[in-house]
Amino acid sequence: MIDFFIIPVVKLTIIFSICLFLIAYATWLERKVLGHIQLRYGPMRVGWHGLLQPIADGVKNFFKEDVVPDNADKAVFVIAPVISISAAIILLAVIPFGEPIHMFGKEITLYIANPSIGILFILGFATLGSYGTILGGWSSGNKYGYMGGLRASAMIISYELSMAFAVISVVMMSGSFSLVDIVTDQETIWNCLRQPVAFLVFLISGTAELNRTPFDMPEAESELCCGYNVEYSSMKFALFFLAEYTHMFVFGALVTTLFLGGWHGPWLPGVVWFFIKTFLIVFACIWVRATFPRLRYDKVMKLEWKFLLPVAVLNLVATGGVMLFFI
Amino acid sequence: METMAILFLGVLAIATAFLVIFSKNTVHSALWMVGNCFVLAVLFLMLNSQFIAILQVIVYAGAIMMFILYAIMMLNLRREQDEGDPRKNLVTGRILLVLLFFTGLVIMGVGFSPIALKGRMASQAVAQFGEVNLIADYIFSEGLIPFELVSVLLTAAVVGAVYIAKKN
Repeated sequence: MIDFFIIPVVKLTIIFSICLFLIAYATWLERKVLGHIQLRYGPMRVGWHGLLQPIADGVKNFFKEDVVPDNADKAVFVIAPVISISAAIILLAVIPFGEPIHMFGKEITLYIANPSIGILFILGFATLGSYGTILGGWSSGNKYGYMGGLRASAMIISYELSMAFAVISVVMMSGSFSLVDIVTDQETIWNCLRQPVAFLVFLISGTAELNRTPFDMPEAESELCCGYNVEYSSMKFALFFLAEYTHMFVFGALVTTLFLGGWHGPWLPGVVWFFIKTFLIVFACIWVRATFPRLRYDKVMKLEWKFLLPVAVLNLVATGGVMLFFI
Repeated sequence: METMAILFLGVLAIATAFLVIFSKNTVHSALWMVGNCFVLAVLFLMLNSQFIAILQVIVYAGAIMMFILYAIMMLNLRREQDEGDPRKNLVTGRILLVLLFFTGLVIMGVGFSPIALKGRMASQAVAQFGEVNLIADYIFSEGLIPFELVSVLLTAAVVGAVYIAKKN
């Protein structure tokens, strides 16, 4: 009873509430960091240095009017943000946050589930999340939303390939799809040193999958006036927004798990290391957004099909060759 | 308990499959198809095949349905076209319905039969070796020639598709 019900429920509650809290504050971090990089202050009014801003935003979104356009496909319009957020949050279930801890004479693992197909689970559900984007754009009956949706699906179909190839070279090194096995495999040397090419390819295509600048084609403000979520208001918009930041957090956690050694690190406890690394990746994402301009659409496609994908495939072949002849 | 769950999933699978055919909106049909892929994935999970289940999600619900949806949206089939005599459609629909119902029954029958649970992928074997390893072992030793033939066939199909598209 305790093993099968109480411990998992407590773990679920703790992990999800901590993660969702951090994700809400990722919005604050983004505005603050962008502000300081652009020589502004960012949010300052609500609380000390705007620390209560995410809560104020949440309350505001909750009480705003919820508009459904006449032209919209109502059922799909309502379900699109739900698909987006649920496919994003479910990803948190398989991420290993730290090494097992001992409490009350029991060993407690710091992940909710460790399926043997962990990394495939993440790749699969990350793709499903993009259904939310595409359907949201299509169902609003707005041409900008429609264009945003089309662009989103084209981006996701293409960048998924190089991302998967980068992941496969890591899986080849550790010989398992399970994220926990991948982390334990990196105890002596991190994968970013063993697989530098895969690391770079994963970083670039991951940023593209997140739809963030310089790859924010689906929501390019100057071209599409906000893209797929242009007709959304109130909580529905907030759900899209939250899904985007959840994806960013999961991306940080995934880079940490696959390439930066997960919870491994000296002196501090594993969980702390995990969150420090994740924070650094999220910070890098924001930094990139503040630094680079948006790429043109055809250049985004060229980058994937003519550069990233061939490089990722070559890296895979090279990994296979090295493993065959030297290990 | 397990039987009940599988029965429930079977009913869900058949219901979503029906909705794929009977939705008037093409995009709704495609969405029900995604739902159907999902239910099938859960059925695979019930049969102890995590790997096949996640492949069902990645390949069918993720990739293929995404392409289909993309094509539908590109062609912009928002309003459904009126095609032919509605009564004729109704008859075809009913025949299809009966056919599909029996197909579903047969599939469920095979799933329940003890034969299906005694092959290489029986749960004991999976528990011992881990499923991915078992499948990989089979594909790259005994099933190597068919596997390579299938990949050649798929490559040929892709090249052919590109050629046909180029001509226009």
